Amino acid sequence: MAHQTPLHAWHTTQGAKMAEFGGYDMPLWYASAKQEHLSVLTAAGLFDTSHMAVVGVQGPDALALLQACFTKDLDACIGRHNGPIASGRCVYGAFLSDGGEVIDDAIVFKTADRRFLVVVNAGMGGTVSRHLEMHAEGLDVRVEDRTDGVGKIDLQGPLAGKILGRLVDGGPSAMAGMVYFSFKGHFDPDAPGYADLMLKDGTPVLLSRTGYTGEFGFEIFMQPDRVLPVWESVLSEGAPLGVLPCGLAARDSLRAGAGLPLSHQDIGAWPFIHHPWEFALPFTPDRSGFSKSFLGDKALLEAADAPWTAAYVGEDLRKVNAADGAQVLLPDGRIIGSVLTCATDMGIGRVGSRIYSIASGDAPEGFSPRGLCCGFVKTDRPLESGQTLTLRNGRRTIQAGVVGDIRPDRTARRPIQTML
Amino acid sequence: MKEISELQLPEDVRYAEDHEWAKSQGDVLRVGISDYAQDQLGDIVFVELPQAGDRLKKGDEFGTVESVKAVSELFMPVSGEITAVNGALEDAPELVNTAPYSDGWMIDVKPDDPSELDALMDRDAYLDMLKGSEQ
Repeated sequence: MAHQTPLHAWHTTQGAKMAEFGGYDMPLWYASAKQEHLSVLTAAGLFDTSHMAVVGVQGPDALALLQACFTKDLDACIGRHNGPIASGRCVYGAFLSDGGEVIDDAIVFKTADRRFLVVVNAGMGGTVSRHLEMHAEGLDVRVEDRTDGVGKIDLQGPLAGKILGRLVDGGPSAMAGMVYFSFKGHFDPDAPGYADLMLKDGTPVLLSRTGYTGEFGFEIFMQPDRVLPVWESVLSEGAPLGVLPCGLAARDSLRAGAGLPLSHQDIGAWPFIHHPWEFALPFTPDRSGFSKSFLGDKALLEAADAPWTAAYVGEDLRKVNAADGAQVLLPDGRIIGSVLTCATDMGIGRVGSRIYSIASGDAPEGFSPRGLCCGFVKTDRPLESGQTLTLRNGRRTIQAGVVGDIRPDRTARRPIQTML
Repeated sequence: MKEISELQLPEDVRYAEDHEWAKSQGDVLRVGISDYAQDQLGDIVFVELPQAGDRLKKGDEFGTVESVKAVSELFMPVSGEITAVNGALEDAPELVNTAPYSDGWMIDVKPDDPSELDALMDRDAYLDMLKGSEQ
């Protein structure tokens, strides 16, 4: 029997199309995955993400354990000058096996000195905690799977700050200065920072300026019993502005268009290198090695023949089913790999040789896109941007081109003062 | 998602196991997909149809229907010649969602054997099949 989030009854009452994901019975969409996707680009969308797992890592050697296991160098990861992670900041990276293969990707939050929260994918709390414990021998650190004690919803889209500003105690100024990949507050009464950020209804939250859509927005962590009332108050505040509840289908199409990987699909049981997310690796400036030693590092440096991963965009919105093994071919017919993700970003379209988003300020008048197929391919060789590919599964064959980026004019990194 | 009791399942069409419907219109059969099928697929964003004049056998793939989530094949409920396709779906594939039995129709077929229509399920048999698959 699949697990349920605190919002499960709400989803089924709304008539959501449900499916199992990561061991949880989750909404794929409510009325329309397309409208949900578009709402995140033009207003904001609200996602139930309580299926995601949270692992606490604390103690005098918490940093040492994470430095030994996490791909990002926590002593050199913040800002232009690669400073050490500070309390209130979070970073993206991955946990690897000794062979350099991905166990899971994660965002590590530094909540205080010697205290970290590690947010991993649905169903991965146990796996990642056991992995960390296995490498904690001789270290003074406590690792704890806290998944069942944490609830989370994500508000994503250009209006997310305006809506939350009305619900947060202290108003928009309580969120001022929050840079991308920073957070405020805590939901745990025993943690430093608890009640530093409260909603007006008295809910203590950990509010993080992160997400999985490529758009401006927040992940909101709280105690599980607060999830339903907060969900409902965000929706009632946001509905007049066009906010929609969104399911996993929109989450997948938005993240694909934003060029973000899905763990265990776009990254997985092969070396975590040769991909568009190498910012998650602690390369030295000359890329000859890494700035720290971590589990899997040697395997990565020796993995010259490891497969290569690249983003692509199709000619139009037509997809191939990637789940059952679609092939990647060069124009001369040589098969060079397989399709990892194939989704339709419903908010983008081509005008001449250029791709616009419905959120592009300079889109031609009357621009009304039908969407473009996009995703990632894994191949036996590096591919240059602009390379033409054929993607094939059964009868369906589509043309695609390798790209450095997919959906233009994303809002995730906009300065917060322009978004409140 | 609709409850089975909320589905539109008209009496005047016949249903195939793959959720296509067929309805007699003079000497051709009009074919589309059922309310259940469109509801399961979600937003339909593209429909690929054959050419008028194509001859296909019962069970052959006659096209694909593409939702935000996946690409699904469409299968001929009877053998015959395609006499017309619904060109409106090219610009408005969402008609399959909003009007699966009327404006969202897909193809007209001149059946090789008109009695093949009778071999398809009536409303009650199709409803029984849907109830069985929900359990």
